[in-house]
Amino acid sequence: MNTKEYIESGILEAYLLDTLSEEEREQVATNIALYPELAKELQEIENTMFRYAESFAVTPPPALQDKIWNEISNNAVNAGKAADSAPKVNKTIPLQPQYRKPAIDWRYAAMIAILIGSLALNYILWNQGRQDKQETTALNEQMGKLQADQQQLASLLSDYRSAKVMMADTGVQTIVMHTMQSGHPMAATLYWSKGSGDAYVAMDALPMPPKGMQYQLWVIQKGKPVSMGTLPNDMANTPVMQKIAMQVTTGEAFAISLEKQGGNPTPTNVYVLGKA
Amino acid sequence: MDLTTTYSEEELVLLLKQQSRDAFNYLYRQYSAVLYGVINKVVYDEQTAQDVLQEVFVKIWSNIGQYDAKKGRIYTWMINIARNASIDKLRSKGEIMKGKIQTGEDVVNNLERGMKAEQMTDTIGLRKMVANLKPEYETIITLAYFKGYTLDEISKTLGMPLGTVKTRMRNGIQQLRAIFNN
Repeated sequence: MNTKEYIESGILEAYLLDTLSEEEREQVATNIALYPELAKELQEIENTMFRYAESFAVTPPPALQDKIWNEISNNAVNAGKAADSAPKVNKTIPLQPQYRKPAIDWRYAAMIAILIGSLALNYILWNQGRQDKQETTALNEQMGKLQADQQQLASLLSDYRSAKVMMADTGVQTIVMHTMQSGHPMAATLYWSKGSGDAYVAMDALPMPPKGMQYQLWVIQKGKPVSMGTLPNDMANTPVMQKIAMQVTTGEAFAISLEKQGGNPTPTNVYVLGKA
Repeated sequence: MDLTTTYSEEELVLLLKQQSRDAFNYLYRQYSAVLYGVINKVVYDEQTAQDVLQEVFVKIWSNIGQYDAKKGRIYTWMINIARNASIDKLRSKGEIMKGKIQTGEDVVNNLERGMKAEQMTDTIGLRKMVANLKPEYETIITLAYFKGYTLDEISKTLGMPLGTVKTRMRNGIQQLRAIFNN
């Protein structure tokens, strides 16, 4: 395709202004995905049109902000979602479980399924053991192992239960850690209950670390970074939350840095940072 | 979170998905005036415009999961929501039919009416720059960007071949680009 002619035709402008038919729009979207120079041109047009829209900006009446927030909160309540309509101090963000809840519920379901499966297996093994006394010793061993697994799962379940209780706690502060590497949009979130010292972290928008490297979490106390331990790589770029083993009741900020496997005593390459 | 905090688009989308009040306050601070301006270009009644702004924020809030960064910037997405909600509002009030059969003269009158509503803006400098846009371009861009006309409808309303509409659309945006880059 002659992209120069295509650009000159004005089709990208017509696309951005949403004046094309469904069919034409799909065609243009495909071409933009294929040719980076079209995407670049479209970006320029978008910027121009945003500034154009900005030139007509009108500040809405001040009372509208609270009115709209109330409407949004009511909407969330009506939709059966937990929402906090009471105005809050800016720092303490009410945690709204609807975004993460599905992940936890899914895990609940999975764990309960495993528990039931494991119980059933125990029963079958026990039955077989009775029928075949020669295998009893081996089966006993296996049962012991299954029981241990079960205990492990039960303790995991109670961890998730306490995480849910934590999320419902309005004293929990949400700290968004922002990128420290210009040009690289990254972010992570820390949920901190200052009162209890519990902290949870989610590396929502951090890339997978390169081989041999790992993320390490830090709390800045009196200007000094104190390690809160390394974070498992499989959490990178997911909304999965993990409870931090270390209890922390003071700190001005939190940060995540990229370190060699196993971590370092002081941070070498800080990726994201957020003030408490 | 202090008032000067700024977020990248990626961070903003992330925050919106967490549905916190902070995210709302930030969104409102950054974009309410632009969105309200877009609404005011379509809806002239102040009470209706306020209702539409509320609808727009509720829509942004509940549909953020559908926003696809590959298809464009978040502000383009939000402006589209504002424009479509405004047009829907007019349509529900039966005013759109009038709008689509209006004469060229009416179009110009409406443009002037639209401008009066915006005298109290923070962006007077930008407005002055934009005022340099040639009228034949402004009419086409306004019809498309604020009134939701298709190429076909513009061509019929203004009695102008489709190709000319497209070229003028491009030339108009090129002129704006030059204005802003100066």
